[in-house]
Formats: sequence, structure tokens, C-alpha cells
Amino acid sequence: MKRFIITLVVLVVLTILSAVVSNYSTNYTATIILILAGLKFLGIAYYFMDLIKAHVVWRIMLVIFLGLFLIPILILY
Amino acid sequence: MTTERIDNKNIYYPPGGILIWIIIFIELFTFGIAMIVMVYSSKDEPEVFHNSRLLLNSTIGAVNTLFLIVSGFCMAQSVHFFKQQAISKASLFLKLTILGGLLFLGLKGFEYYDKIEMGYSIGYNSFFSFYWMLTLFHVIHVLVGIVILIMMYLDIRKKGAEASLENIEASAAFWHMCDLIWILLFPVIYLIF
Repeated sequence: MKRFIITLVVLVVLTILSAVVSNYSTNYTATIILILAGLKFLGIAYYFMDLIKAHVVWRIMLVIFLGLFLIPILILY
Repeated sequence: MTTERIDNKNIYYPPGGILIWIIIFIELFTFGIAMIVMVYSSKDEPEVFHNSRLLLNSTIGAVNTLFLIVSGFCMAQSVHFFKQQAISKASLFLKLTILGGLLFLGLKGFEYYDKIEMGYSIGYNSFFSFYWMLTLFHVIHVLVGIVILIMMYLDIRKKGAEASLENIEASAAFWHMCDLIWILLFPVIYLIF
């Protein structure tokens, strides 16, 4: 239960941070926003969905998906 | 009355079951490819994408993100309490999860109404074509998720601790999937262009 509360707080902080960062227009803004989104994605999957307790293959597959999603976007952007 | 235990360390039994995870990966890849195509398309019309993105209210997007995150937290709590056989708490958190989903849909409906009123429909430009297709497809998932959660709530109310843990975990996984998709949609549509 404490794990869920910590995860919730971290996710809320990262969401607010994303919104704040988006107001600054730098070369790295999009990269930072997407990395923060990736961290939130893993936070939800690993802790809210309990994937942290699942077989390692499932956790690796999710990281592979995230790489396949984020890398092309960062290259194309 | 005991709640069945599932060994999630077994590769064939991730939380919610292997079938829901196959669906989750298919959905993630579908949305992921669409978002990559959207970013690729933005290279042809960077000004259109930037100006159109500024027409969206990122505060609404951020508040909707918070609704889904808190809703996901309630869903995780509900599954946790169900495993502890604290049925009344599990039901309460399930109701809060549904409320989070309804708040998301309410705010999304307000946003859609606002965009239609201003004439930013699906054919307005290529940015709004992606905006409507991706967000509407996501909204359909949220609607389906809410229906599934209502069915789960009724099942728990009827059967109590005898309700199937696997069904509840699968429903929870579907709900969290809506959250995962939105977590990626929000920055791509509302923030980066």
C-alpha cells in the first residue's frame, strides 16, 4: 500500500514537471518531456500493474517497447 | 473462503493473465506506430503542428492525466484489498476508479465541445486529424474500461471474496492500459510540437 502511495506521488510530481518543462523552449525540451513520460509509463506498469513481481521477460519486453517508441520519435522530432 | 493465488513469477501468468498482456502489447504498438507517424508527418508541416498544438489547452490534458493516474492508483488499491479479502475497501476503491474514468470523460467531452465550437474538427488540418483519431480511439478504450469495471463491481458485490481474482486482475490491467496509452499520448499531442 505504501508502495502505491509513493508511486502516485512520484507520478503526480513527474506530470507537473512535464507541464512546467513544456513552457521552456529549448533544444532539449521534447527529449526531457518524453523521458519523463517514459518514466511514468514504467512506474505505472511496474508498480500499479504489479509487473515488478512478474517474470523478467515481461519487464524487458515493456522496456523494449518503450525504446522502439521513444527512439524513432526522438530521431524524427 | 480463500482468494486463489496465482504465481506471477511464472512467465505464462503475468498479473491479469497472458491474454490481456498480448492485447496490451498490440494496443501499445498500434498507438505507438500512430504517434510515430504523427511525428513523421509534422516534419512536412512544422508550423501547422506547432500552431495547432498551441490551440489545445495543455492544462486540461494535464488534469486529465492526473485523473487517470489517481484512478490507476485506486485500481491498484482495489486489487490489493481484494487479495486481502477486504471486500468493502476493494469495492470502494473500484467505485473511485470508475469515478476517475468518468471525470476524465467529462473533461474530454468539454474539450471536444470547445474544439467543435471553434471549428477545429477532424478535417481542419493534419494535426487535428491525428488529434481526433488518436484521442477518440483512446476515449473508446476508456469507455470499454468503465463498462468492464462496472461489471467487476457488480460481480464483487454479488459474490464477495468468491469473485475471480484473475478476472479482477485482467480488468485492472485493461484499465491501467488506458492509463499507459494516455501517458504517451499526452506529451506527443499536447506538449512537444
